[in-house]
Amino acid sequence: MKKHGGINKPASVLVAATIVAGLLSACGSEKEDNAAGANNAATQTNDAAANANAGTDASTNAAANAGDNAADPVVEITVWDQPSPDDPGKSFIEEQFAKFDADHPNIKVKHVEAWQPDVREKFLTAVAGGEGPDLSSAAFPDMQVYIPKGIAADITDMVNNSPDKDRFIDGAFNLASKDGKIYGIPNDMYTSGLIYNKKLFANAGIAAPPKTWEEFAADAQAVQAKNPGVTGFDILGMDWADWHFEYYVWQAGGDLTEQLPDGTAKLDFTSDAAVKALQYYKDLKWKYKVTQKNVVQDIGENEKDFYSGRSAMIIGTSDSFTNFVGRGMDPADIGFAPFPAGPSGKAPAQVGGSFSMLNPKSSPEQQKAAFEYAMYFMSKDYNDALGQFKVDNGLGVRPFTVLKDFDVTQYIKDVPQDYLDAVNESAKDQHLEYFLKSSLSSYLVKPIQKVLLDQNADPATELKKAQELAQKEVIDKYNADLKSGANK
Amino acid sequence: MGNQLELKQDTVIREQTQTRTRATFKIRWTPILFLLPSLIVFFVFKYYLIFDAIYISLFNYDIVNPPGNFVGLGNYFEFLKSATFWVAMKNTLIFFVLSVLIVFWVPIAQALFLSQVKRWNAFYRVLYQIPGVLPVVAGVLLWKWMYNPDRGLFNYLLAKIGLGPYGWLNDLHMTKLAIVLPGFFTGGGISVLLYYAAIKSISAELFEAAKIDGCGPWRRMVIIILPNITFVILIQFVGFMSGVLLSFDNIFVMTQGGPADASLVVALMIQRTAFVQSRFGISAALSFFMFIVIAVLTIVQFRLQKEDD
Repeated sequence: MKKHGGINKPASVLVAATIVAGLLSACGSEKEDNAAGANNAATQTNDAAANANAGTDASTNAAANAGDNAADPVVEITVWDQPSPDDPGKSFIEEQFAKFDADHPNIKVKHVEAWQPDVREKFLTAVAGGEGPDLSSAAFPDMQVYIPKGIAADITDMVNNSPDKDRFIDGAFNLASKDGKIYGIPNDMYTSGLIYNKKLFANAGIAAPPKTWEEFAADAQAVQAKNPGVTGFDILGMDWADWHFEYYVWQAGGDLTEQLPDGTAKLDFTSDAAVKALQYYKDLKWKYKVTQKNVVQDIGENEKDFYSGRSAMIIGTSDSFTNFVGRGMDPADIGFAPFPAGPSGKAPAQVGGSFSMLNPKSSPEQQKAAFEYAMYFMSKDYNDALGQFKVDNGLGVRPFTVLKDFDVTQYIKDVPQDYLDAVNESAKDQHLEYFLKSSLSSYLVKPIQKVLLDQNADPATELKKAQELAQKEVIDKYNADLKSGANK
Repeated sequence: MGNQLELKQDTVIREQTQTRTRATFKIRWTPILFLLPSLIVFFVFKYYLIFDAIYISLFNYDIVNPPGNFVGLGNYFEFLKSATFWVAMKNTLIFFVLSVLIVFWVPIAQALFLSQVKRWNAFYRVLYQIPGVLPVVAGVLLWKWMYNPDRGLFNYLLAKIGLGPYGWLNDLHMTKLAIVLPGFFTGGGISVLLYYAAIKSISAELFEAAKIDGCGPWRRMVIIILPNITFVILIQFVGFMSGVLLSFDNIFVMTQGGPADASLVVALMIQRTAFVQSRFGISAALSFFMFIVIAVLTIVQFRLQKEDD
C-alpha cells in the first residue's frame, strides 16, 4: 500500500533536480557573464596575460588584442552618462552617442544610467565592488574625497599631451588638481550667489538687492510685510546646511577648517567668524523672523518655494536661472546678486563644478578611450550643437563655460544682462569649500539645526560641542593616519 | 532453550539497531535537492555578505585597493568610543519603545475587531491591507508634507479647533514621535491577517464553554484569545523588534537623522559612515554589531518557539 499521496518519489527527485539544474545553469551563465566581466575587470588591472588566459571575445577586449597591431582593437568602456528617461535633452544626447560610435568604431561605449539622486552611493558601491565605471563625473566636493582615496585616476600626462588642454579657461583644472597632478576634466563650473525675486522686491519698494547683512535682514522683513504669505528668505537647514553656512563664515572673515602646511587639519568651528555667522543664522530665524517655519527642509524644497513665488530670496548658483525658467518662472523676475557682505566687509562666492573622472583600475587602452570620449563631449562642435538644441527647444543654457572657444553668449540671449553682470561680479572673489567637508558635514549640521530650532541655544556653546566631537571622532584620527602614512 | 531464546532476541535487537543505524546514515537526496536552490541563494546573498562585512570590519578599508590596513578590532573600539554612536543607540532604543507603545498592538486590535465582524469580513480584511500596498517612501513623503509647519495639513486642521501650530519634524522633542506616528494609522498589513488566522484557529468550543460559564467579550479576550495567540504575538514581536532596530528608509526620507541628530539611528549611521564619510571599515563593524543584536533576538525567538512546542 502506498503510504503517501501526491507525486511519486522518482518524479519528485526529477522535479527537484530540474530546479537545481536550472539554478546551476543560471549560475553557470552568470558565471560566464562574470567571466566576461572579470575580463573587463582584468583589463582594468592591466593584466593582459590574465585576459588572454580568460579567453574572452578578442574583438571586444583591448588588452587581449594589445599585441595585435594588424587588426584595430576594439576597446570597451563603461560610462555613467545615460540620461534619465524624462530628460528633455535625451534625444539629442543619444543622437550624439550614436555619432560618437560612428566616428569611433574602435571604441565601444556602454552607457549606464547615472541620474538617480543616490548615484553617489551607487558609485562608491560600484568602486568598492571593483565595478567602477571607466568614466564618470563628480562634483567638486566629491573630487576632494576621491583624489586622496585614489578613486580618480591621475591623468596629468594625458591632459598635458592633449591638444585640447589650451581650450580650457585658465585655472579650470585647478579644482581637480593636487600636488601638481591632474585628476579630472572640467565639465562645467558655477559660482554661488543670492537669488532674489525682483517682482516681490518691487512690491516692497526695494530697487536693488541687499549689500550687507543688515540690509539683507531689513529687505527680507520688508518683502515679507508687503507680500503676504511670502517668506523673506528660505534658509537651508537640512543635511547640507553646512554648505550654505560656510558662506556666512567667509563673510564674517573666517573659515571652518584649515589645512596646515604639514597637511594636517585644524578645526575653526569656534572661531569668532563662525560664531558670528551662526548668531546671524539664529537672528534671521528668531530676531528678524524672516525664514520659513520649516527650516529643516532640503534644498529642493527651498527651490520649489522660490520658483513658486512663496519665498523672496534663496541661495543659488549661476545655473539657477536656467533651472527656474525651466520650472515656469518669468525670466524677468529672477535676480542674481553677489552675497551681502558680513562683518569682514567681504562676500566671497563659492566656486564649484563637475569633472569627468577616469578609473585608475582601467587599462591604459580603456583610459585612453575614456579620455577621448570625454574630450569629444567637450568639443566646440558638440557644445555648439547642444547650445543650439537648447535654444531651439526653449531649454536654458548655463551662462558659465569652461571652454575658451565656446561662445556661450550666443545661446543665452534670454538671460538678462544684469543677471550676467552680477554673476561676473560674484565670480571675482571665489572661495573653495571648506577642507574635509564630507567628513565633517554631519558634525556642523547639528549646531546649525540646534540654533534654528531652539531659541535658547547658544551658538558659541553649540559650535564648541560640535568641534570637540568632530576633533575626537574625525580630526584626531585623520591627523594620526596622515602622520603614519595611512591616509593616501 | 532459555539461552537460545535470549540469543535470538539479542540477534534481533542487534539487527534492528543496525537497520536503524543504516537508516540514520542514509542520505535523503530529495529534500536536499529541494532545499539546495534556496540554500545557494541564501548563502550567496546573505551569508557571504555577512562574512564579507566581518572581514571588511577588520580593516581600515580601502575601496580602491582592498582591503587596506589591518586594524583588528580597532573599528569596533572606535565606534564604541564614539559619542555619536551612543546617541544613535539611544535614539534607536527610544524609537523601539515608541513603536511598541504606538504601533505594535494596532494589528492585534484590528484582528480582534475583525474576528468579531461577521458581515463584509473579507471586505474589511482587504481594507486593512490597502495601506500596505502604498510604497513606504510615498507614504512617508505624504506624511512629511502633512507635517510641514508652513503649509501642512495637520497644523491647518488643528488650527480650526484652536490647537497648534506644532513644529512636528521641526521640534527637537517631537521628531521621534512624528516619525513613529504614521505607523499607527497605516496599520499592520499582513500582521493583521496572521493574528486573525491565529484567532480563527481557536476552537469554537472554547468560546461556547466560556459563554455558558458567563464570560463576557472582554473576559473571553483575556482568558481565551490572548493566551491562544501568544505564540504568534511573540514571533511577531521579535520580527517587529528587528524591523525597528534596522529602521532606515522612513527616517532617512523624513529627517535624514536630524534635526540635530534627534532621529539619528544606527542604520542611518551605517549609511552615513560608508557613503558620506567613505569609512567602510567602521560601517561594516557597525553592521556586524547590528547583526549580533539581531542574532540574539533570533535566538530568543527560537527559545520561545521551543518553549511553546
